[in-house]
Amino acid sequence: MAEVRITGLHKRYGAFHAVRGIDLDIRDGEFTVLVGPSGCGKSTLLRTIAGLEESSEGTIEIGGEVVNDFRPRDRDVAMVFQDYALYPHMSVAKNIGFGLKARKMPKPEVEARVAEAARMLGITPLLGRFPRQLSGGQRQRVAIGRAIVRNPRIFLFDEPLSNLDAQLRDEMRGEIKRLHQAIATTMIYVTHDQIEAMTLADRIVLMRDGVIEQQGTPLDLFERPGSTFVAGFLGSPRMSFLPGTLTLGGSAAAIRLADVLLPVAPGRKLNGATDGQKVLLGLRPEHLTRAHAARPAQGTFRYDATIDLLQPTGSRSYATFRLAGAPVMAELQAHDVSRPGERLPIDINMNRASIFDVKTERAI
Amino acid sequence: MPVVARARRRKRRSVPIGRILLLGFFLVFVLWPLYWMFNTSIKPSDDYLTVPPVWFPTAPTLVHYKAALFAYRGLDGLINSLIISLSATVLSALFGTLMAYSLARYNTGGQHLSFWVLSQRFLPPIGIVLPVFLIYRGVGLYDTHIGLIIAYTVFTLPVSVWMMFAYFRGMPKSMEEAALVDGCTRWEAFWRVAVPLAAPGIVAAAVFAFIACWTEFFFALILTSRTAFTLPTVFRAFIGFQGAQYGEAAALAIVSLVPSIALGVLAQRHLVRGLTLGAVRG
Amino acid sequence: MQHTATISRMKAAGAPPRLSAFAQWADRHFKWLLVAPAVLLILALSIYPLLFSMVVSFINYDFQVPGHAFVGVKNYERVVFDPVARWSLVLTACLSGLSVAIEFVLGLLVALTMVRSFPGRGVIMSILIVPLFISPVIVGQAWTLLLQRPFGPTNYILTQLLGQEVTIGWMTESPWLYVSLIIADVWQWTPFMFVILLAGLTAISPNLYEAAELDSVNAWQAFWAITVPHLGPMMLLALTFRLLDAIRMFDTIFIMTGGGPGTQTYTASYYLYTVGFTQFHLSQATAGSWLFLIFTALVVMLLVRRLLKAEPV
Repeated sequence: MAEVRITGLHKRYGAFHAVRGIDLDIRDGEFTVLVGPSGCGKSTLLRTIAGLEESSEGTIEIGGEVVNDFRPRDRDVAMVFQDYALYPHMSVAKNIGFGLKARKMPKPEVEARVAEAARMLGITPLLGRFPRQLSGGQRQRVAIGRAIVRNPRIFLFDEPLSNLDAQLRDEMRGEIKRLHQAIATTMIYVTHDQIEAMTLADRIVLMRDGVIEQQGTPLDLFERPGSTFVAGFLGSPRMSFLPGTLTLGGSAAAIRLADVLLPVAPGRKLNGATDGQKVLLGLRPEHLTRAHAARPAQGTFRYDATIDLLQPTGSRSYATFRLAGAPVMAELQAHDVSRPGERLPIDINMNRASIFDVKTERAI
Repeated sequence: MPVVARARRRKRRSVPIGRILLLGFFLVFVLWPLYWMFNTSIKPSDDYLTVPPVWFPTAPTLVHYKAALFAYRGLDGLINSLIISLSATVLSALFGTLMAYSLARYNTGGQHLSFWVLSQRFLPPIGIVLPVFLIYRGVGLYDTHIGLIIAYTVFTLPVSVWMMFAYFRGMPKSMEEAALVDGCTRWEAFWRVAVPLAAPGIVAAAVFAFIACWTEFFFALILTSRTAFTLPTVFRAFIGFQGAQYGEAAALAIVSLVPSIALGVLAQRHLVRGLTLGAVRG
Repeated sequence: MQHTATISRMKAAGAPPRLSAFAQWADRHFKWLLVAPAVLLILALSIYPLLFSMVVSFINYDFQVPGHAFVGVKNYERVVFDPVARWSLVLTACLSGLSVAIEFVLGLLVALTMVRSFPGRGVIMSILIVPLFISPVIVGQAWTLLLQRPFGPTNYILTQLLGQEVTIGWMTESPWLYVSLIIADVWQWTPFMFVILLAGLTAISPNLYEAAELDSVNAWQAFWAITVPHLGPMMLLALTFRLLDAIRMFDTIFIMTGGGPGTQTYTASYYLYTVGFTQFHLSQATAGSWLFLIFTALVVMLLVRRLLKAEPV
């Protein structure tokens, strides 16, 4: 049980600057997911918290104590690795008890704890086996068992699910979430998978090129992305970006996309925006629905679309059409649309739309 | 694909007579000296000069083995060789593994240190052995077991280090990292996780170190005389006697080559790594 | 985390016990402690002797001449102007060059016959590598048994095969004694080439050859177009390693010819050995060994640099 505070953290490998100035506060018991494309420094950050990498600059505090000079063993954290890193020459029981043995814990207590951890994870029958005799999911459980048996101050996960097949991945994701709900220990989880990030996190820390691009609750990041990068990274299918011009003149603000003028939702703040500013309008597929009501709702813009491309998934159909020349995807009910070429009235929910500056790619 | 199938069939059809002949010739070439040596070792001395030679001894005898081992002190050489080779092997594998781990995991000394060790492998022994001889005489290590054990340890170290270096490089390091996070010191992560996992590599490195020591002649010739002499140096006794002791020489040779060949063939899987200092994976 | 199992938090195990001051120190300097024994041993028994021999090569250190006076480059002069020394260097180059060339060709041929698997391949493999595990002294002894006149059966076999009396002094007559030395070396070290080249050959994807066959390329063309370029780094590696060992040639000569007749089979190592240990001109021998070392270093630099550039597979 501990909070983590990272201040001004840098990590350089020779000329390569992997982590460039990270400030991050993680509350006690919080599930934090570090997410970002490969090479963004998220794994390096995690390994620096574990003590497996030395920081080049900055401090790491765990439970109010600066641990920069602590060995990994003295930090009282546990880590689950991408390849599970089970000790192949030890049985499952020995694997789980290894950390306790390193703490010189008396044998009977080690055995009791191992048995308890195995019971919780449902792997009691496997205790006598060796890692090579286990399936991927079972190895994953053993790796988690190795962590919970110690009840460390922090759990660190380094892409723990990426070696599993899709179905098992969904299952284990749920179990990790359940684990966190039950024991409420601080967890820091690295992944490149935005779905894992969205489903698991209390807080997402989205990283790019060694810095934090944006952090907040999953819904925060999803609904109010701070940049086109965040908006594009979270959500599948991706957000559509439409280039246009902001017009502030007159009574209401609007965005002009070629020949179409979309009014900005009333009451939406446009901080620092200027008239004639080049912007990108960001629309997620679920911001666009088929119009059923006679009149569009407040903040909604109706457009007659001709469907170019239709991708049915069963429950929903993703329909692509052109809005002022740029492709936009809408998420429709399966029965809303039947074939490409169809003309439909589409309601665009401008209340939820994002607006970004073209040059800085920052949200307005 | 029919074309491929036809090509394959054509390959099968042409009986590789040339290949069989070449391989057969080479096999005979390899086996013939070994057979002749064995033949000589069990042949009575009277059969040496017959024309035609005795291809299969009709009255095999062990008399040469007895003479080689006792009259020519072959047994003493054998025991010395065992003591010296085994000790040097243990030290070489131990120190080699320690150093290789540090080079592979901590990149100690950068490239310079590892290449410095490698360069030792290519020093001509004659350049080293002269001064070592003078130093050994000065400090009383000349003709001692310990002296030769140290010399052999150093002379097999480059191979041990490089073989194990390649082995550790090929091993994922996450298990050692897991051990560190689990509460181990670096030494414990090395000793309790890395070493057990590298055991096959260590055994292979040890086998090649042992064979190198067991077959070594030059250092032994110069650094030992009547006390710590090893098996290969016993063959000096048979030089220039124009055949009178061929049975003994052959018998001693047979005794000496059995252990190293047995070990070598057992460690065959690692042979390529051993010969190329880990540069090529087998 | 079986759905029925309740998960609850265990008592915290905490951090492991604190390390003693010594353990902390050892953990901090772990990487240097690991290399220390090996480095110290090499320093003591390789670097220190080399420096020591550097000193010896410039002073008088001769069991027949008392005193250790500084003599400048006199020891080096003695070696350089000794015709036997020069002869031994030429012979070393010729013998090692020729042996390695034969071993390479023969090793490659045998490797080519062994690439594809066939019944008995494993056993044949085990037999072919046997010479690598035998002391060169014993190899010399084995060939002595075969070649030495009048006991060895070789002349008898040749007489029967050729149908005329063969009486070659394999260990005494030039050029046959060179042939004998080369045969012994080839016997012992062809497997070295064979093993490395075979490893290289098996690493080449068979798809390449199948593609070549589809393009109706014949075996000879495929060898030059596919095998040679892919095997290049491996060939260089095998040649480099072997050549650097071949120029040390000593053991078989010691057993088979004793450097004789006269000084006809003196290699560099054998020459330096006789100067140092039968004539006891130790400072002259160290001077010579330094020259030989420099000569070797040149070869190493030349070959190893190319090797590193080629990056073996």
